Amino acid sequence: MAGKPSSGPTTYSPLLTGQKVKRPILTDSDWVRPDGRNHHQCRPAFVRTGAVTSASGSAYAEFGNTKVIVSVFGPRESKKAVMYSDKGRLNCNVSYTNFGTPSRAQSPDTKDLSSMLHKALEGAIILESFPKTTVDVFALVLESGGSDLPVVTTCASLALADAGIMMYDIVASVSVSCLRKSLLIDPLSEEESCQDGSLMITSMPSRNEVTQMTITGEWSTPKIHEAMQLCLDACSKLEKIMRSCLKEAASV
Amino acid sequence: MRHLQLSLNKGQKLRLERALEQLESLSSKANSDASVTVADDIPVNYEDAILKGHGTAEMDGRVVATLCGVVERVNKLVYVRSLRARYKPEIGDIIIGRVLEVAPKRWRLEINFSQDAVLMLSSMNLPDGIQRRRTAVDELNMRSIFEENDVICAEVRGFQHDGALHLQARSQKYGKLKTGQLLTIPPYLVKKRKQHFHYLDQYGIDLILGCNGFIWVGEHVEVKDDMVEDVLEKSPEPQNAKPCNTPVDKPLEETRTPLATRQNICRAANAIRVLSTLGFTITVEIIMEIVDLSISSSVDIHEMLGAEFYVVVAENEAAQRSSSSRKRKAHLVHHPAPRSWINARTTYMRRS
Repeated sequence: MAGKPSSGPTTYSPLLTGQKVKRPILTDSDWVRPDGRNHHQCRPAFVRTGAVTSASGSAYAEFGNTKVIVSVFGPRESKKAVMYSDKGRLNCNVSYTNFGTPSRAQSPDTKDLSSMLHKALEGAIILESFPKTTVDVFALVLESGGSDLPVVTTCASLALADAGIMMYDIVASVSVSCLRKSLLIDPLSEEESCQDGSLMITSMPSRNEVTQMTITGEWSTPKIHEAMQLCLDACSKLEKIMRSCLKEAASV
Repeated sequence: MRHLQLSLNKGQKLRLERALEQLESLSSKANSDASVTVADDIPVNYEDAILKGHGTAEMDGRVVATLCGVVERVNKLVYVRSLRARYKPEIGDIIIGRVLEVAPKRWRLEINFSQDAVLMLSSMNLPDGIQRRRTAVDELNMRSIFEENDVICAEVRGFQHDGALHLQARSQKYGKLKTGQLLTIPPYLVKKRKQHFHYLDQYGIDLILGCNGFIWVGEHVEVKDDMVEDVLEKSPEPQNAKPCNTPVDKPLEETRTPLATRQNICRAANAIRVLSTLGFTITVEIIMEIVDLSISSSVDIHEMLGAEFYVVVAENEAAQRSSSSRKRKAHLVHHPAPRSWINARTTYMRRS
């Protein structure tokens, strides 16, 4: 589906005339978010399970312009080369569609994202429940509108719940961008491109545990505390949305 | 319904909804309030000594669910049954599988389970029918018995230490299946019964309901017990070209299946597809009923997968059950959420 950027003849993506996106001149005044949200307001979330009928479990998530579909296959037979182990294996793969990012040059490092998704999910799944077999998680980002990895992680956890894989809790993930003095939750791609630092938390809200925390860029300690608190609150709200989606799917 | 990908027009949608509502009201248990998602609390009376079964975990002294599903209680056992229930094998189950690879002294079959099943060469009758030790020559000729992508019917003999299944196909009724269709349906729609092999004589087709959700609809094959044949039949042509279930490699005449049989096979297969999409338990009776219904209302074979026939089947079933529930308790239950068909205790024991 997502072709490798380096293969085949080079192509040119069309220039979007009329939408000259200049790098915004950062003044000391507060940043106004392009979609009119508050700094501490997340995008409205749309999640649905059961998008892919041929997979064991699947989910579709749409957070503003970020659209992700995740399918889960398994537990199924491992490759023969792998020795017997009493824990199951988790295999994650994140890929972008050709049309997912505005220009080819911005296509992100999917190997990096895949291993981060793996680390986020392996803390939540009970691997001992499917020994010797593998669960495959395939995430496809249909459109990248900012804050991709948190949306992928959230969607993947819904897909795993849909597939009936035993987990300690569903994981919800939110990221915060630090831009000058303001903290913006659930950033868009424009905000991410000019951020000073980012903090992403993947947590299991009902258990009050964190499976993954990623911090990049410049941060001061009080800012980190504030950002973490924001993220955890947003995660618990996101968890309610996810639970209602799963309950709805179960009652159909 | 998540798998129903038909375009129903307004009238059909209404009729279908009404029929499904009627079926829901007739089904015996109301399960909606017991559904639970991951890490939800399971309402339990903590004073009783309860057994925490499959799909539950203990956290801070509370019992929480680790699966999304429905809470089931059997005496002291509390467990969570997931909605997309995977096939749970038991010894003695009749299974249909497809050969994935030919390995040293065994075949590996795919059976809609988390792991592939293994059919040992020693669990299989040899072509010449003699009971003897399998030699190296037998091992080299394994491919003449079953090859990759063959469909095989077998019985569960036991479990390996890692949970994979061991199969055996020693009887004449097991073995390679030819001339027919293999259908995949959700495993919970096939209940464990006494008989899984059915012969629909008025249509001339064989029906094998595999417990793993694979169903075989095929041309009828005479199952002959080789040992008995030698004693009873002193036929002058002991090697005539009869189609058998044994993996005989003798060159058979290419007998063409008659068109009527093939049409019946397609009809039965489509009936099973419709029933499984609507979520009804698959039994011989209901399949025969739907096939008769389609013939009597002269629905073409390809029209059976159209929207109208789905609605007709749902309405027919709703009408039947409401009339039979007045006489007796309906024992065919509609499945909005799948029910467990296995004694819960065995599941718990195996899983622990």
